[in-house]
Amino acid sequence: MAILNSFTTACLKNIPGNALNKHLFFTLRAFYNSQSRSVLGISEERAISPPIGLERTTVKNLKEMPGPSALANFIEFFWRDGFSRIHEIQLEHSKKYGKIFKSRFGPQLVVSIADRDLVAQVLRSESAAPQRGNMDSWKEYRDLRGRSTGLISAEGEDWLRMRSVLRQLIMRPRDVAVFSDDVNAVVDDLIKRICVLRSQESDGATVLNVNDLYFNYAMEAVAAILYECRLGCLENEVPQETQEYISALHLMFSSFKTTMYAGAIPKWLRTIIPKPWEEFCLSWDGLFKFSLIHVNKRFEEIKTQLERGDEVKGGLLTHMLVTKQMSLEDIYANVTEMLLAGVDTTSFTLSWATYMLALHPHIQQQIFTEVTNTLGPEKVATANDVQHLPLIRGLVKETLRLFPVLPGNGRVTQDDLILGGYFIPKGTQLALCHYSTSLDDENFTEALDFRPDRWLRKDTSDHVDNFGSIPFGYGIRSCIGRRIAELEMHLLLTRLIQKFHIGLSPLTDEVKAKTHGLLCPGAPINLQFIDREIQT
Amino acid sequence: MSLLIALRRLAHVRLGELSRRTTAVTLSSGARLSGLRSFTVGTQALRSDKVTFHFINRDGEKITVKGSPGDTLLDIVINEDLDFDGFGACEGTLACSTCHLIFDEEVYKKLGRVTDEEMDMLDLAYGLTETSRLGCQICLTKSLEGMVARVPDSVTDIRQSKDESA
Repeated sequence: MAILNSFTTACLKNIPGNALNKHLFFTLRAFYNSQSRSVLGISEERAISPPIGLERTTVKNLKEMPGPSALANFIEFFWRDGFSRIHEIQLEHSKKYGKIFKSRFGPQLVVSIADRDLVAQVLRSESAAPQRGNMDSWKEYRDLRGRSTGLISAEGEDWLRMRSVLRQLIMRPRDVAVFSDDVNAVVDDLIKRICVLRSQESDGATVLNVNDLYFNYAMEAVAAILYECRLGCLENEVPQETQEYISALHLMFSSFKTTMYAGAIPKWLRTIIPKPWEEFCLSWDGLFKFSLIHVNKRFEEIKTQLERGDEVKGGLLTHMLVTKQMSLEDIYANVTEMLLAGVDTTSFTLSWATYMLALHPHIQQQIFTEVTNTLGPEKVATANDVQHLPLIRGLVKETLRLFPVLPGNGRVTQDDLILGGYFIPKGTQLALCHYSTSLDDENFTEALDFRPDRWLRKDTSDHVDNFGSIPFGYGIRSCIGRRIAELEMHLLLTRLIQKFHIGLSPLTDEVKAKTHGLLCPGAPINLQFIDREIQT
Repeated sequence: MSLLIALRRLAHVRLGELSRRTTAVTLSSGARLSGLRSFTVGTQALRSDKVTFHFINRDGEKITVKGSPGDTLLDIVINEDLDFDGFGACEGTLACSTCHLIFDEEVYKKLGRVTDEEMDMLDLAYGLTETSRLGCQICLTKSLEGMVARVPDSVTDIRQSKDESA
């Protein structure tokens, strides 16, 4: 479960801010600023020691780094709606300017890295509390409402303190494996829902816009783990409370661009253009409200049990509430941000995975054979079975390689660095271009082909030194929900393949990716789910 | 920065506490919290017979320590406060490969099965060899008595030594 695209967030946040601030109102000053910033203290005395294999004289400064001009970028993003094509622009720019290039969004300079070895260098040299990008608007909302920051919005010591608690609970594969039964119960409901939905179509097989279905699946599964309760997302009638949350979530993402404006618009301007900031706060209110309801409900139950002297049993939330390693406010903030981060990231990936299976029936057949040879037609897989299903793991890896739900991620450098022969001063916003490295033929042979079997290993010594595709990130600030997301996807895909032949509906045209904060299907994916004959 | 390191150490200590908490926690009211099936962290350490183990650090020095069977090699590095810079950044949660260790072939064969998740993280380890493993995934057993693991150079070490020679 990849955490929100903070690089895009940072960029989006900065672009509009700068656009409004500088381009629209102080054009001249902006040009002066970007000029002065482009030299960013790269004086002679700061030309520090040279990197491996490079002589001192070859270390170049940022001024010498290629990249599109600020004006070209402005036109690309605002005139040609580059926001929805961020992933393609990343690819174009890396082909045109090389594997390290700079882009300027007003005075905000971003150094993009589209080379797997440079990505590795950045992530391997991280400090104890890496920073992704600017999250001021998120923080401002939380300060305004007296709420805590969670793992997405917190930085520095606050972040590390919460991360240290949470990673001990949900990051180890064996800690997450125990949720198999909970997740499988949600898979059962999804299968039933597919049968209801397809029966409503004239061909008795099609489910329209499968992403909606997977969205509800992911939400139900994350809630089952985080809140220890079921929400009813896959029922024919979704409960009111859950519907309200889904609306808040949709508001958050449907107005993604506007909400990012919201944080960046100078406060005085909010009296003139109040809507973006209001919507931003409104959607956060909705998300927090939902978490409060569920966390408080469990909290009251525990209190009652304790007063009666009963044994308190439970899972993740119970553990957090009882051990009190984090305050109640920290718990609210973290379950809110984890639920937010864990729903459409998973649903988009499931949409692409099943779309690719429908487009490649022979690969689907290959995986079906592996699944039935391992499990038979009926056995329900648990986390422990996944190790015997390498093609299921390959399917998820290959899907995330072709469609990394986070096409880019951000880092703010915490030390001076030399990257690709350039001196990068501390505090520079980096963009790690995962989409470009994933689709680079140098990293993956025939990179545009869908080949889950490229991830199979001959034996345990069969390693690939590859930072080319790291959809969950790497290291201390990588996706904390990774193992939960993998479990949800592995168990669902195994069962779908076991039970159905997945085909493309004639209603589905070619679906391309677009960026909407995250990389998502650009059009509805409609698929047919046809029952497999059970062979005895 | 030193505070951050202190926090990390603190979090490591919590790891041990957590594993004990999974069995039963007595609360002030007299009620018991039990059956946290989600948290099967750590293995019950047998405190009886300690196992001797050797690390070779990045300067080539041999460090001899004792650990309890069931402890991971990362646990030992933390418990013994061994100063391997950047080692075990994710605290044994399989999110990085900074507790990368290199073994002799005979020792490597005794270390048991490598999980898929460990293999994936090993793919991203710096200076990977055919006998590399992650220290957080290897539990000490009697059969590892007297064995040696080498801590490989990190990216920063290489950069520093080049800088010094420049």
